[in-house]
Amino acid sequence: MILPRFDVLVPETVDEACTMLADHADEGIRLLAGGTDLLVDLRRPIIPQHVPRCDGCPTHPEGRILSTIECTPSDSDSLMASGGSLRAALEDPRRASPAYLISLHKLDQLKGIERLKDGGLRIGALTTISEIERSREVRDGWTALAEGADNLGSPLVRNRGTLGGNIANARPAADMAVPTIALNGRLTLHGPSGARTISAKDFPRGPGISVIEPNEILTDINYPPPFPHSGSSYYKLANRKALEISTVGVAVWLALEEPDGPVEDVRVALGAVGPTPILAESVRETLVGKIPDEPALVKAAGAAAGDARPIDDHRGSAWYRVQMVELLTLRLLKIVLRRARGDR
Amino acid sequence: MKKIISLTVNGVTSDLAVEPRRTLLELLRDDLGLTGTKKGCGIGDCGACTVLLDGVATFSCLTLAIQADGCSVETVEGLAKDGKLNRLQQAFVNQGAIQCGFCTPGMLMMATELLRRNPQPSELDIRREISGNLCRCTGYQKIVEAIQVASEETP
Amino acid sequence: MSKYRILNTRAPRVDAVDKATGKALYTDDLKRPTMLTGAILHSPVAHARILNIDTSRAERLPGVKAVVTNREAGTTPYGVSPARYDETIFCHDKVRYVGDEIAAVAAVDLDTALEAVSLIKVDFEELPTILDGRAAMDEGQPQLHEIYKNNICAEVHWHFGDIEEGRQDSFLVRTDRLTSKMQDAAFMEPQSVLAETDSHGNLTAWSSTQAPHYVQRTLAMALGLPLHKVRVIKPAVGGGFGPKASCSTAELATCLLALKTGQPVKLTFDREQVFLHSRARHQFFHTMTTGVKRDGRLTFLEHRCILDGGAYASFGIAAIYYTGSLLGGPYRLKNMKYDGYRVVTNKPACGAQRGHGAVIARALFEVQLDRIAEELGMDPIELRLKNVMEAGETTCNELFVSSFGMREALQAVRDSTAWKKKRSLGGKTRSDGKGIGAACGFFVSGAGYPIYRSRTYHCTVITKVDEVGGGVTVSSGAADIGQGSDTVLAMITAEELGLSLDDVRVVSGDSSLSVDLGAYSSRTTLMTGHACREAALDAKRQILESIAGTLGVPPETLDLRDGQLVSLAGEIDFSELRKEYLQEHKGFTDLPDGPQLTFREASRIAFLERGAIVGTGKYRPPPLGGSFKGAAVGTSPAFGCSAQIAEVSVDLETGQITVEHITGAHDCGFAINVTQVEGQMQGSMMMGMGEALMEQIIYDKKGRIVNANLAEYKIPTALDMPHLDAIIVESNEPHGPYGAKEVGEGAIMPVIPSILNAIYDATGVRIDELPVTPERLVEAMQAKRDKRS
Repeated sequence: MILPRFDVLVPETVDEACTMLADHADEGIRLLAGGTDLLVDLRRPIIPQHVPRCDGCPTHPEGRILSTIECTPSDSDSLMASGGSLRAALEDPRRASPAYLISLHKLDQLKGIERLKDGGLRIGALTTISEIERSREVRDGWTALAEGADNLGSPLVRNRGTLGGNIANARPAADMAVPTIALNGRLTLHGPSGARTISAKDFPRGPGISVIEPNEILTDINYPPPFPHSGSSYYKLANRKALEISTVGVAVWLALEEPDGPVEDVRVALGAVGPTPILAESVRETLVGKIPDEPALVKAAGAAAGDARPIDDHRGSAWYRVQMVELLTLRLLKIVLRRARGDR
Repeated sequence: MKKIISLTVNGVTSDLAVEPRRTLLELLRDDLGLTGTKKGCGIGDCGACTVLLDGVATFSCLTLAIQADGCSVETVEGLAKDGKLNRLQQAFVNQGAIQCGFCTPGMLMMATELLRRNPQPSELDIRREISGNLCRCTGYQKIVEAIQVASEETP
Repeated sequence: MSKYRILNTRAPRVDAVDKATGKALYTDDLKRPTMLTGAILHSPVAHARILNIDTSRAERLPGVKAVVTNREAGTTPYGVSPARYDETIFCHDKVRYVGDEIAAVAAVDLDTALEAVSLIKVDFEELPTILDGRAAMDEGQPQLHEIYKNNICAEVHWHFGDIEEGRQDSFLVRTDRLTSKMQDAAFMEPQSVLAETDSHGNLTAWSSTQAPHYVQRTLAMALGLPLHKVRVIKPAVGGGFGPKASCSTAELATCLLALKTGQPVKLTFDREQVFLHSRARHQFFHTMTTGVKRDGRLTFLEHRCILDGGAYASFGIAAIYYTGSLLGGPYRLKNMKYDGYRVVTNKPACGAQRGHGAVIARALFEVQLDRIAEELGMDPIELRLKNVMEAGETTCNELFVSSFGMREALQAVRDSTAWKKKRSLGGKTRSDGKGIGAACGFFVSGAGYPIYRSRTYHCTVITKVDEVGGGVTVSSGAADIGQGSDTVLAMITAEELGLSLDDVRVVSGDSSLSVDLGAYSSRTTLMTGHACREAALDAKRQILESIAGTLGVPPETLDLRDGQLVSLAGEIDFSELRKEYLQEHKGFTDLPDGPQLTFREASRIAFLERGAIVGTGKYRPPPLGGSFKGAAVGTSPAFGCSAQIAEVSVDLETGQITVEHITGAHDCGFAINVTQVEGQMQGSMMMGMGEALMEQIIYDKKGRIVNANLAEYKIPTALDMPHLDAIIVESNEPHGPYGAKEVGEGAIMPVIPSILNAIYDATGVRIDELPVTPERLVEAMQAKRDKRS
């Protein structure tokens, strides 16, 4: 597999990048951050997903013939020019074979972890997963995010992968997106007419599809200040202990009114059990304002499982995933409660 | 349309004309003749192509050469000095951490980054750090032991 | 005090430094002037008739130098076993699996080659597919090959002894099943070939192969070239494990392109193509019925197996025989019946992979032994100890074990891991999810017969002493693919000639140097080791005879030790010899002046006396095995054996399995290189663990591989692998050089069953389908709970 032909533009400011996005939208232009997703996506596989079926082929009028390429005479030249596979041509060619990539590696202003005056956290979209993994600040105040970073891929992936890339790719199992939703993160999208912020849970629309506009760039992600008596955690369920995409991912954030008091707020986010990461909204009513005893936690876990909408795929069946959502939510609630009460 | 980039590889800086889609791996192996860095999969699943980019262990198969413009790259060919193996390489040789050798350059670069950052890693630290570098020959046991031996000798 | 100076030590590998510095050259590292790049067109459909191939557009693409199909390649059948040559270089009438090769292109660069491939138009008439190995033999299924009625590529029906008599004799009889999936060897270096011709009609192919000799033969045969005009050279190879032991379309196509263009052509597989090519682990469907007496002694085994081997025979014939034959040991078993069926289906062809056809069979048998032990109320290791064979015994299928450290290996693992303290007996399950399991296995130390019917020597070795004196060059066709055979040959030669390893050069893996059947069936140490020792001793004899003649002493009174020629019978006066040597080397500064004649001098003088000193060695096993059909497969001059214990901890709710520790003991006869033996054991543990818990090729309904990459085809990472303890048992094999026999494949045998047995110990459930993923385990645990309530 090799990469299709493209040109690489290297902007020095975010505005420059947005302009480039607008200028080349028709020819296909995509953002390149760490590259661990995009550069894999762009490669042409050896065996195509689609094998053309020719009906009424002049050579074989019996019809229903498969072919390695479409046999329309007019295509003979265009196929040579595109240099891409038929599969790529059948998808939106601007995404599968963009003429341009914008490499963001010079945008230093999008890198870094910054504690804000209000106690919240701003993380630049180009901050690598490794930097997040190693940040004491993140681990102490936004533990689920650090644990997402712990479990993502492998050290090599973490060294290149970025928080923004992981979230912007809008994959349902994304190890940073799921904790970000549980932690009530907000995304800043920068476009030609300025910036807007949206809640992380409203960002993804489907697998690989988000609300981002074609000429917008995700620039940073903000996390609210930690509540007193709160804690968070993330668990990634997979088969082997590294280099995995999760079978099920669960992130839990919980805040107590007081250490022995009722729950002030709770957010449970689920990964890999739906077309997007899911905020399990049903959990709130089982716990908010209530004392988090065993029956309440069990009920909460059941509510989370009820919100999950998994499918069967080669990583796991829906049956197994739903059970694991319930099991892991219960386990994480207990861990997070201990953290909220101050026992780390 | 090729672009000119400036790259320092194992201490030697040069200007190179590269196609935008050329990966760092292709540049190292095909353009610079530094075949020590290996291609095991080309899509970031095996770690055989690991090099240090500004000191950070990176998949060279998923890094465009253009993204390395102005950076310093360290490959396995740069580890030995004056023909003498460095401590880590010697440990790999002595401990039997090398069988077919295909994962070895990537492992060495990954371990180099680890030991710079954490000179006294625990066994778990080591296993975690090389978890993205696949090996099919050794079962990792002697690789872990070699990295431990190399770390114990750190001044 | 060791009998040996270099043997049985931890000498560093002779190629380790080159591999640690990036100097070692693998096939894709090689470049030749005017080299072109090759690419292959693979079938995108699993089963179809080829109606038309149109290469015209590809040929017109600028930069394309050649496009080849069956038109240029011809349709000479080839394969692995001569009785089943069912492949052609390119498909001509049909494609039989997604990935089957239809055409190839040579172009100025990879990009152009791939683009040209995408311009080749092939029209197919789709045919129905058969993807389920269990159904492949049924009436009315699509037939892949005219020569394989009912898609049966081979079938084996053996009956040794009398199982009915055994059944009568049994106190307990059990039937158990195990199925697995097709798996991949997942070596780190994808296949790669560089082919070049010269002006005299010679073809040279550098290839990432385990078997230069077999590749040479197949290239010559399929391309219609005289054998002596074809040379195959193996550069450094990044792992083989079986799939690289036979000639592939990559090698054939690349050579054809080189012949056609007159330029060197290089073709390197993408990882996806490694999966498409496969030639790796078959899928197995085993059923075994085993009986024991009250005291645990085995009475009979009735074994039926279907091997799904994908679209072509490849090594499948050997596989189906190994599946049956290697259950004849390591336990005493008088009565064994085996019915095996190797079928073809519309999936990539399967071949040989570490342990060959015997791995999954061994897994089931060892699990079954555990179940028997449980029913009898016996400790599983005690049950095995009760049944193990001893050296000098013969199995019911006429495999003779000349050395057999099975008992010692079992005792070694049992005594090293507090087996008794950790075991919970009689099916009582702990609730902490921890478990421990044991298993055994054994394997051939080289196949008794080559893959083609011939009385050829299995290997020769030529050891030439430097004519200038000082060192030796060992030439061998043997293939070091990472297992360390070059080091073994160097150590043997250094030992016999009293040299340091640095003074022994090994040149290997080149078909023009000598015949060597290659690195498969775990043969190199025993077989090539034999030949190497013979060659070293031959060279030594010539040197000593020469010097003895000059000095007027009997040659038996001289020896070569530590780089010197020593006299075993009092002082000798070699001053004349030294004088001549010094005279010859006026001006040199590192002249010998010690009290002993150096090897450098002695070897030089011997050359002056006799001319070139060349020692040769050769090896072929004696006729082995019985006279029944298929008796050849499974025979071997020696058998290695293994015992292992695996400790696991299971998350009883998520089903996630962590292997905490594996302890293995392997009888390799004699460890020529201790580190390398341990390395092979540990590597086997990793592959077995992966196959037990996470490795499977997943197909969709169209016969396409869903997970043709190393992210979704999961092999264990360093975080998954536990600490691995490797204990070496040395039973001193009389047929092995210095007592040595195999380790490369035998050590994988106990891994899967010891893990399965440990999982049972931890959870109380048996899984009869591999791999044991967390979900599969949860399903089984819940089914058990539901059954109980």
